[in-house]
Amino acid sequence: MTLTPLTRPLSAEDAAHFLRRTAFGATDAQIRALVGKDARTVAREALAFDQKTAPGNPFDPMQGAGPGPMIQLTRGAWLFELVYGPHPLREKLALTWSNHFVIGTDKVRNVHALAGYLGLLRRHAATTSFGAFTLEVAQAPAMLRYLDNDQNRRGKPNENFSRELLELFTTGIGPYSEDDVREGARALTGWTFEGGRGNQNYRQAPRFVFNERQHDAGRKTYLGQSGPLRGEDVIRLAATHPQTAVFVSRKLHRAFLADTPDGAAVQGSAETWRRTNGNVRAVLEELLSSEAFYASRARIIRSPVEFVVGALRTLGQPKLEAKALLNLTQTAGRMGQVLLQPENVKGWDGGREWINDTTLLLRLQLAAALTLGSKAPPLTAAPSALALTGLERPPGAAATLKLNPRQATYLHLTSPEFQLA
Amino acid sequence: MTNRRDFLKLSALAAAATTGMPGFLARAAAQASGSKTLVVIQLTGGNDGLNTLVPYSNGAYYAARPTIAIPKKDVLTLTPDLGMHPALRPLMGLWDSGRLAWMENVGYPNPNRSHFASMAIWHTADPSQAQSDGWIGRLAESIGDPFCASNIGAATPQALRASEFSLPSIDAVDSFQLKLPQGLGGAFGDMLDAARSGEAAFLTQATRQMMKNTARVQANAQKYRAGATYPEGRFAAQLRDTARLIAAGVGQRVLYVSLGGFDTHAGQRAEQDELLGTLASGLAAFHADLERQGLAENVVVMGFSEFGRRVAENGSAGTDHGKGSVMFALGSGVRGGVHGSSPDLEDLSDGDIKYRQDFRGVYAEALSGWLDLNAREILNGDFRGPGWLA
Repeated sequence: MTLTPLTRPLSAEDAAHFLRRTAFGATDAQIRALVGKDARTVAREALAFDQKTAPGNPFDPMQGAGPGPMIQLTRGAWLFELVYGPHPLREKLALTWSNHFVIGTDKVRNVHALAGYLGLLRRHAATTSFGAFTLEVAQAPAMLRYLDNDQNRRGKPNENFSRELLELFTTGIGPYSEDDVREGARALTGWTFEGGRGNQNYRQAPRFVFNERQHDAGRKTYLGQSGPLRGEDVIRLAATHPQTAVFVSRKLHRAFLADTPDGAAVQGSAETWRRTNGNVRAVLEELLSSEAFYASRARIIRSPVEFVVGALRTLGQPKLEAKALLNLTQTAGRMGQVLLQPENVKGWDGGREWINDTTLLLRLQLAAALTLGSKAPPLTAAPSALALTGLERPPGAAATLKLNPRQATYLHLTSPEFQLA
Repeated sequence: MTNRRDFLKLSALAAAATTGMPGFLARAAAQASGSKTLVVIQLTGGNDGLNTLVPYSNGAYYAARPTIAIPKKDVLTLTPDLGMHPALRPLMGLWDSGRLAWMENVGYPNPNRSHFASMAIWHTADPSQAQSDGWIGRLAESIGDPFCASNIGAATPQALRASEFSLPSIDAVDSFQLKLPQGLGGAFGDMLDAARSGEAAFLTQATRQMMKNTARVQANAQKYRAGATYPEGRFAAQLRDTARLIAAGVGQRVLYVSLGGFDTHAGQRAEQDELLGTLASGLAAFHADLERQGLAENVVVMGFSEFGRRVAENGSAGTDHGKGSVMFALGSGVRGGVHGSSPDLEDLSDGDIKYRQDFRGVYAEALSGWLDLNAREILNGDFRGPGWLA
């Protein structure tokens, strides 16, 4: 059940497909540069990103005059990186992880906690150890605050993080009991943070601390293991559980292959995951160079952020004013995706859930603003149908024949093919 | 009810010709043409039922919640044993006039403490979690109209998912209109007309449906003038849009509105108090508006949350996930009062109350008693409710 590697050299449509999935989209020149290459090489090169960021980011969250503005600036800074950054796959993965290890700006309103969390997602974007990633997330002040583990004390357990660790972050519903949730909470007592609390202290950096006096050192039984388990033990047992390989692999398939993943293909990734002890990089490399990946065309409905970033990257990263970028973070929000603020801890469901009358209307309006509006970025030649839709000859292309470049681009951006990756 | 409908069939009166008809005939016509509306309110995150409908005479309640219990002196007394949270004061008028009902001890078999699993159970009305269509989605399929139920908000909840239809979500009535750029209407139509399959076909169909729905709403929505002042905030604005759609006679039988933030693991009093205030002030304005418009007879509101919370408070002045909880209903068509018996706080299951009323019974009454639909077909079984409709 392993994932068969693709052996043919990449065609133009293959290259466009790869870039739509891993880079939100691309220009014609970027697509052409991958044609004829070998799938494994292309995947490996895309995954070999460092932590460099886009120069000239106009947003500095530290300049925010209060938690609200600081959060807005954080969103703007992230959108800037998504659109102009040198490593779109790193950002796509950070976005994916932000929808897995969910925190929300309704509760996390500290500039350093947010920056720390986002930095963590970028550093571990293609992590070689999911266990190490999970441990860092669990000890991140943003997560400690968001799921109340900072208030989890000996004799006064707070189960919020312990429950979601299993249900949403590692094994998924099924392999654990309510007792595991309770015992996990006991083991995680004493994990909290210092500094940066309250509305006034949003500039002060919080840091993880283990408060031994608030830790319940007694015997616990968790996922079948007994002893005086500590927080680290619980994280390790959850992160290395065999079902975690399946549950998180499925999320990766949802991000890169299809809204409705194929069970056998997910099992293939889960086997690689187990064989490599949660080496996400290895899982991704295999996934992104597989026949299954290249066969899965048009099976992911782009999220609002992917729609916005995809349009701008396909249009060749036109320079937008800071104000316009901030507005775009809000437009994505009205389409259902506020960066760093999913509706709830489960994250965005994605797929068809992105689509309803209101969000479709907004997608049409945004397409018009980016191509036809008085403030539309300059556009000399229309991107090709391949760049816009992933297909050399998309359905309905005849409708664009008599239109000028802006109108043709508008029509492509509103097509079902552009909504899909 | 059956008699009235039969009479209507026999008399062959056109549903549109209600003006100038004697009152009872007009009401019968309205009913047959389906003018009754159910407004469902979802309290997302697990609303704590015990601090909503407070068992203020019960020592076990105060013993379990030393920090967060509602002091007896603050409770809005309803019965010798129960009273409302003080933030629900805007609803006292409805209670006094017998138009507010509380359903006690509502839940379902094998309760699930996951927000998402439990919410899915309430949405699908299927505790076995085998169904993926929502109960309102199935209702829409049985009526056969993809516009008979709408969500007011940005994202469509699973309750409105149907296998054949995509039911509309209307974020705000004012902006719910499609204006294609000048000269591109034809090309847009041609582009949509191309043959497609899979997710692309789904998106094509969703776009066409959106074009129909927006046209329908805009054709009617201009008629409305609010009959009450609504409080600030998104929830109230959504209720105002709900009233507007009802007044516009657009034809929805079910409208769905959500209020989130009830996951009160820490510092519950501050959080839940504010939310209940938002809930009550919004609903009171909504009802007043409908009364002013002469529409209150046609609308019933039914509210739920995916679960209640643990009886005992936790160490962070909050509560962890629990099981059964309370439901509420309001409107002129409601039989006011407390329905069902209160949970025994000294006989708990894992720290939670043991439910007595299956929520599907409450749904069943809304479906058959209010909307005149086949509840059994929609809920896949017979369920008995507490008799909360007048």
